[in-house]
Amino acid sequence: MTERSIRTIDSQVMTGRAGRLRLTSKNPYVPRSAIIREITRETDSVSTFVMSFIDELENNSFSYQPGQFMMVSVAHQGEAPISISSSSLQSDFFSLTIRNSGRLTKAMHSLKPGNVIGLRGPYGTAFPLEEMQGRNLLIVGGGIGMAPLRSVVHTCCRQPDHFGKVSVLYGSQNPGELCFQSEMQSWKEAGVDCRLIVDAADNGWQHQVGLVTDLLTDEFRPQKKKDLALVCGPGIMIRFVIQRLEELGYSPENIFTTLERHMKCGFGLCGHCHCREKLVCVDGPVFRRSQLGVLEDL
Amino acid sequence: MAGLATTFGSGAMTNSINELSSAQVILLSGSNTTEAHPQVARRIYDAVDQGARLIVIDPRQTAMASLAHIHLQLRPGTDIPLLNGMMRCILDENLVDELFVEMRTENYIPLRDLLLTIDLNEVTATTGVSIKDIARAARIYARAQRSVICYCLGVTQHICGTANVQSYAGLAMLTGHVEREFTGVDPLRGQNNVQGACDMGGLPAVLPGYQMVADPVVRDKFDRAWGVCLSDKPGQTLLDMTHGAGSPGDKLRAMYIMGENPMLSDPVLDQVEATLDSLDFLVVADLFLTETAARADVVFPAASFAEKNGTVTNSERRVQYMNKAIDPPGAARDDGWIIMELSRRMGYAMEYESSAEIMEEICLLTPIYGGMYHDRLIDNWGLQWPCSDRAHPGTPFLHKFSFARGRGRFQPASHVPPAEPVDSAFPFLLITGRSYHHYHTGTMSRCCPTLNREHDKPFLDMHPDDATRLNIPDGSRVQVTSRRGSCKFFLRYCQSLAPGDLYCDFHFHEAPVNVLTLSARDPEAHCPEFKLCAVRVEEVI
Amino acid sequence: MRRKQWILHKDHLLPFLRKLRKSRSLVAPVRNSYGDTMYTEMNDLDNESIELAEQPQNSLKSFFFPQREKLCHYSVDEAVGDSAQAYRFYPSLPESRAVVYFGVRSCDMFAVMYCDTIFLGGRERDVYYDARRRNALFITLACNHPFENCFCNAARTGPYLEMGYDLQFTDLGDRYFVEVDKARGREVVQQWPQFFVPAGDDDRQAHYQAALESRGLFRRQVHVDLAVQLLDQGEEPQALLAELSARCQDCGGCAFICPTCTCFNIVDQPLSDDRGERVRTWDACTFDGFTRMAGNHNSVQIISQRVTKRFYHKLRDDVLRHGRSSCVGCGRCVGMCFGGVDIVRFIDGLCAADDKRSEKREDGHD
Repeated sequence: MTERSIRTIDSQVMTGRAGRLRLTSKNPYVPRSAIIREITRETDSVSTFVMSFIDELENNSFSYQPGQFMMVSVAHQGEAPISISSSSLQSDFFSLTIRNSGRLTKAMHSLKPGNVIGLRGPYGTAFPLEEMQGRNLLIVGGGIGMAPLRSVVHTCCRQPDHFGKVSVLYGSQNPGELCFQSEMQSWKEAGVDCRLIVDAADNGWQHQVGLVTDLLTDEFRPQKKKDLALVCGPGIMIRFVIQRLEELGYSPENIFTTLERHMKCGFGLCGHCHCREKLVCVDGPVFRRSQLGVLEDL
Repeated sequence: MAGLATTFGSGAMTNSINELSSAQVILLSGSNTTEAHPQVARRIYDAVDQGARLIVIDPRQTAMASLAHIHLQLRPGTDIPLLNGMMRCILDENLVDELFVEMRTENYIPLRDLLLTIDLNEVTATTGVSIKDIARAARIYARAQRSVICYCLGVTQHICGTANVQSYAGLAMLTGHVEREFTGVDPLRGQNNVQGACDMGGLPAVLPGYQMVADPVVRDKFDRAWGVCLSDKPGQTLLDMTHGAGSPGDKLRAMYIMGENPMLSDPVLDQVEATLDSLDFLVVADLFLTETAARADVVFPAASFAEKNGTVTNSERRVQYMNKAIDPPGAARDDGWIIMELSRRMGYAMEYESSAEIMEEICLLTPIYGGMYHDRLIDNWGLQWPCSDRAHPGTPFLHKFSFARGRGRFQPASHVPPAEPVDSAFPFLLITGRSYHHYHTGTMSRCCPTLNREHDKPFLDMHPDDATRLNIPDGSRVQVTSRRGSCKFFLRYCQSLAPGDLYCDFHFHEAPVNVLTLSARDPEAHCPEFKLCAVRVEEVI
Repeated sequence: MRRKQWILHKDHLLPFLRKLRKSRSLVAPVRNSYGDTMYTEMNDLDNESIELAEQPQNSLKSFFFPQREKLCHYSVDEAVGDSAQAYRFYPSLPESRAVVYFGVRSCDMFAVMYCDTIFLGGRERDVYYDARRRNALFITLACNHPFENCFCNAARTGPYLEMGYDLQFTDLGDRYFVEVDKARGREVVQQWPQFFVPAGDDDRQAHYQAALESRGLFRRQVHVDLAVQLLDQGEEPQALLAELSARCQDCGGCAFICPTCTCFNIVDQPLSDDRGERVRTWDACTFDGFTRMAGNHNSVQIISQRVTKRFYHKLRDDVLRHGRSSCVGCGRCVGMCFGGVDIVRFIDGLCAADDKRSEKREDGHD
């Protein structure tokens, strides 16, 4: 076993060495400068930052897919992983939807259009666009978890013919915490079925009250065996939604979710996002339900 | 310090840290050992793994208390009645080491008379510890051959700190658990060189080596060495200085503060601030611009321990040589250089070429350091004092054959209630302490990103029952108010405290705990009652 | 002919190292003035003592992956007039020096190979590690006398290496038996042929004998394979982990001393309002803040599971990810741990529980 295991390691090193020839000048730790073009206030604590790289060449070569994330640097505040909330099909600019919840995100919220941040990425796995072609999609989001799903919704709006029926179920604690309200009309116009729900309503709330699982009625049973469900939100919500989706008949192969973890590098070295044998930054953040064992870890 | 000095004749740890792992019974009091003295905790773990019994006296369920065979979770500030209770049990069960008491101690009769008046039910009522547990602990401690007592600031930082220590010393003498390897009374010192600072005369009434200022023979020796005429009057205590005590005539007008941050670490901060502001001149030498340094007229950037050569003396009286590892940054200089340069410019040239030469002078003038020349300390783990001359091998445990003061003296004590008992306006007793990840006022440790990440905000620990009663959720912002001031914390539910007690640490300038604490202090050691004060808690909306 | 086995007489070791040092820096186990042996960069071959009879207290980790390393510095310039705000990063790569590491123990060599898979074999190459690693030459020393806490035999990383080194030395009393594996080792022998004579059958016999004897000298029996197997089968020793976690003092010492623990943190350290450094430092999964996210959400129940993550990572997750456990059996964490809750105690506890269960099962059959 000694010899075999050393050989495995050795051969990996060798492939690594071959790889170096391709990538000699690339330093994966160095961010590129990006400028904030526009800021949309979504809720009291959430804003969407529309941005582009300062270097035009960067913009031309930049491509990403729904579900991937960027490592965001704000001056003196270090870095944090943030999901991309736009679709590359829609505009040359891209968006990050960020909740003010820590030191870096707080600093981010104090920035104005024209300010500059640092970005690395995109990193991580994406929602399986290929596999999604022609299928009905059930998109279930909770709170800020809607951000990466918005990227999927925008893709669907842009290419309605590529997908089957697209339904969005979106819940939050109260109406004031629902993001993207201003653009939902345009989602509907593009043929997306949008349902909203909140834990606690206020005057003027015209939609349902309750948990997002309450929206998962028999109506949303998979029409075909291959229908897909995409889930993102707080850990506990993901757990209950997945449970419910499985009851409705979605197979673990057809449910996708994202995990959120503390991260430092974004490409599988720093070790912070270890989740069992998986690294959320490279094996995720988008996982198939069947890849995840017990959901208590979420 | 004063407690052990008056009973045994020396205020230091009687044993070596390594001896702990071979003890049969360890009685640990007022020490959160795993967080404050991890290397000592390691020996305690080793001892327990080898079958030793561990008794912990602490109002909090610390990691050591969870490991303990008996945890006496006493009400804060009731050590004396608890120990009197234990000693009474020892007396009742005939476990007194009569030969030892007869041969090596004095003043036993008054202690015995006091113990005979102790009512164990009353002890239980005062301390909150059951008679059964007191008796068990007493029996286990007394019966073993090798029992050792370790205590820390939870014992000394009280209004009755000296009497507390005397009672622990009394317990050890009553059962003959001193003067031998593996048994004794060991105060755990806070920092790597607190012992050294005391040894070098960093106390009001003594010159280096605990030689009394009042003694003309001692003064004469120093006068001749230094070519000056020393005052025969003891200096002021820390609190006298930082709280501006004394008549207007002998009030301090200037201060030179080295590596200390009284603007965060001393009680009643308002008063400290007023005192510092009233000075004509304030000089501070520190690594960083601390809250205190920010108020100074002159700040000297000082070198850190890694940036200079010299010795430190730890808890077990071990003098160790530390090599300079890196150069000080920028214009920073080691404290010795700063003092010598200052002295030279003030007209008294100190011409030491190295720390080794200073050590030679220490050896000359300080009998307990008599043989501690640098060349003997380099390339090894150092020597433990007393070490009288070059040939002396050092002293791993103290009081062999006889106590330093001749006979060990029993000092009977009765309960001294906390200086500030709780009442309806201030219903909680606030205990202060230290956390694992930070050092003192955080001057250094809060500059380290990883340490600061581990513990980045001031917490107030409260038992969930109290919190539920007050209807304050976990993690809320709370304001804590004492009779002297208030500061804000983040509430943390904590099962390891008894209801009615609160706990916080003092590392955070955002929550300067010492605006709350009181300046009442022990009459002998002058150590303030940092550990306890009465407060109330409100949620900040 | 490519001969692979040579003899270097002990008298010629120092002259040989002196030659090597002409074009390279030399790192070797050196006994310092406190009596501690550490892998140290040697500046003075004649007045520092290479210590080959003691286990070096550090591993080679910090030579390739320093405890604190500046990744880049950054500048922030506010917008002035027409020019927009600027926030730029300037990487600071270490120079790639040629270094020879002499007297490297088998476990430490193996650990370097393991770190290679992490830093060089993943999705992105770590250019900082690579710069330090690229021009390294390793001369290992087979362990004839395992140290007190060693269990490389159980971790299958020693006491003798079969490959991975450039040159492996085996102490045969008055001479070293020298084996060549990598090209760089062969080059060294070719460059200074005067030091090496071909090994004969006697030498090979003596080498085989030494290898055989060293295996019998381990003082600890640590069943790493069984532990890996039990964890792979889904064993979750909750009670044991809770007991050990309660005694973990959260110092991070085990991860810092471990030759294969490579987790790191990246932080910004402002130097002034308009510039600063981005620095990476070693990190440890036993720390509370290691997994804590913004808003105080933590995916690990840190009090009861403090040590869980580390042991599972070493003995289960790395097996799944990289094909073998990342514990190399050097035993350093055993001496390091304040609470006495090192990986050996975990493995022992895990296996003891299994023993008990099988005994019960057998009793049941009777």
